[in-house]
Amino acid sequence: MLKVENVTKYYGDNLAVDNLSFEVKDGEIFGLLGVNGAGKTTTFRMILGLLDRNNGSITLDGEKIDYNNTDSIGFLTEERSLLLKLTVKEQAIFYGILKGMKEKDILKKLDYYLDRFKISEYKDRKIKELSKGNQQKIQFICAILNDPKLLILDEPFSGLDPLNVEEFMSVIREFKKKGSSIIFSSHRMEHVEMFCEKLVILVKGKSVLSGNLKQIKKDYGKKNIIVDASLDISEVKKIKGVNDVVKNSNEYIVKIESDEYIDNVFNYVKKCKNVRKFNVEDASLNEIFVSTVGGMYEE
Amino acid sequence: MKNKLKFLIKQSISKKIGTKWFKVVNVLLCILIVAMSNLDRLITFFGGDFNKPTKVYVKDEIGYYNEFESIFSEYSKNIKDIGKYKLEKTDNSIKKLKKKIEDKDDIIITLKKSDSTYIESDIYTYDVIETVPLQVFNATLNGLKSKVVMQTSGLSPEEIVAITSNVTINTITTNKELDSNAKAKDIISTGLILIVIIPFFLFITVLTQMIGAEVNDEKSTKSMEIIISNVPPKYHFISKILSSTSFVLLQGVLIFLYGAFALVLRGLFSNISSLTASNDVTNFIKETYELVKASGAIDLLLKGLPFILLLLVLNMLVYAIVAGVLASMTTNIEDYQQLQSPMMIIMILGYYVAMMASVFDGSVFVKIVSFIPMLSAMVAPVIYMLGQTTLLDLILSNVICVVAVYFAYVFGLRIYKVGILNYSSTNLWKKVFRSLKEK
Repeated sequence: MLKVENVTKYYGDNLAVDNLSFEVKDGEIFGLLGVNGAGKTTTFRMILGLLDRNNGSITLDGEKIDYNNTDSIGFLTEERSLLLKLTVKEQAIFYGILKGMKEKDILKKLDYYLDRFKISEYKDRKIKELSKGNQQKIQFICAILNDPKLLILDEPFSGLDPLNVEEFMSVIREFKKKGSSIIFSSHRMEHVEMFCEKLVILVKGKSVLSGNLKQIKKDYGKKNIIVDASLDISEVKKIKGVNDVVKNSNEYIVKIESDEYIDNVFNYVKKCKNVRKFNVEDASLNEIFVSTVGGMYEE
Repeated sequence: MKNKLKFLIKQSISKKIGTKWFKVVNVLLCILIVAMSNLDRLITFFGGDFNKPTKVYVKDEIGYYNEFESIFSEYSKNIKDIGKYKLEKTDNSIKKLKKKIEDKDDIIITLKKSDSTYIESDIYTYDVIETVPLQVFNATLNGLKSKVVMQTSGLSPEEIVAITSNVTINTITTNKELDSNAKAKDIISTGLILIVIIPFFLFITVLTQMIGAEVNDEKSTKSMEIIISNVPPKYHFISKILSSTSFVLLQGVLIFLYGAFALVLRGLFSNISSLTASNDVTNFIKETYELVKASGAIDLLLKGLPFILLLLVLNMLVYAIVAGVLASMTTNIEDYQQLQSPMMIIMILGYYVAMMASVFDGSVFVKIVSFIPMLSAMVAPVIYMLGQTTLLDLILSNVICVVAVYFAYVFGLRIYKVGILNYSSTNLWKKVFRSLKEK
């Protein structure tokens, strides 16, 4: 289990991370969210021991993270962290040995994942010759070669097509099943929503929202009602508790303040013609993020 | 963790020597060194009139051709640079002879009677005559004149020699400290600059570029974060220093071997070669060696060689450490190249001081420079071989350099730790000075 407790980091006079705390249990996927410059990369670097913190503690399975246990961590950086002049095989060996693995084991794992991601033919190709998506696959493979206990994924789906995103997700879920603690960072909220049970949203290094995703959505309160019917938008907007109405293809998304206003909308919709759908959903994480983070920046 | 360090060093070296470019460059280097060592042979091999004798048409109007020929051959055999001349007596007219030597190196000499100076001579050449043959002809004609005088005046040969010979001038230097081996010293100084200093200069340039490129490559691709999360910066730093220095040393040894191979080849073919120019170069090398040996420089070199080699390696380490630190402070190779330029200027300074050492014999400034790390590799060996410093001074240069390596490493590592994960040039120097205070 990864435990981050009251961690603070200053760059000179600038506060980069402010008293941040969270924990990621074994077999849990945790979302670390925030706009650019919110302190995510600084947090990752502190977890990996690349940066000293000014305050707080970070432990993995109760032990301080240092060079005695970094071999059990896998890290996928947001930017490409591959040596372009090396071949895929050389790159995997390079990172694998730095993780304390034996060459034989590295090659076995490499073959397995190359086959799984359907890029076995690139084993002896130079990294610079690969497409962005394939480079991302290699980077991901290098991060998981050592079967990490803690897996840090910073924008793992960058440059991938939907099929490969699905394949990545499947591998990540396997690691979750095996009991790895996974920290996941992405600007794509739908990806976070698909994965993470728990999350923290950072604004200027400070946690502004954290906890269980379901609970966060519940606490947020606002709901979306998906309606497929012949509506008069201006009339819907006049209903008490309705914040906004958005037309999405043939459907309308009626955004309401909370559960208690569902009936108001339902009473209006049932009078409309051609009613085919009335579905109440939680607000999306994207909405929660925009609302929370946007609000903080406006302040 | 030590296995990871070993792996990093091994990986870094194999990345350098495992490339096809390393092999191609070394094959080319070997060919070039062998070619350069046998340049004279190569030139003659591809043809030319290098051994073709120059014809000297002697138009003798006084009947002394045989004497002229014997005196000329006597004088010319002692002068190495004169080349081959073939004398030919002729009765042709000057006009006809002038036509013969058109567009050629051939020479016409006339021997005529003079009432005032016994002999008078005209020398005709198509182009301007070279100094050395002119001096030989001049000496030959003076010798012939003595013979004519002897035969016509009834004076004895000794009297003739006494009359015609130059006044003997003995030059006596009263400075007892003046070294009698000045020529040998000059050769040593030039030789060291050519054999040690210039290659050292080139190797340091390669070394610093290599470290800069490697560190910046890892930084710019962010692989540095993955590496440093698994290996302490200290080991990463050491691996860069040791792998680059080892590579440069390996390349140096290879070049030395190519040079030795070239000399062996030269020696092997010297017996079967009949080329005069080629033999002249071989003789020159032998003579130079004898001259240096006679000056006692070989003994001096053998005594100092381990310390000279050690000093070169220690200086390389200082340069490697500084290059690593500078590379860690930059984020791309362009910035690094700018930042490392003062280091190149330091090297040029060392090079010039080494060159001037033989001119400013006993200079205190030069001696002080020979103790300064980064400069000592270029200056200390030269002034030691010139006899301006002792073996003890050379050892002291080494000791100072060891101390410099230690402090450069300790303080350099503090900057390196911060620098390798820094991607911004904002407040760079502030960060550098702050990191120096952190242990």
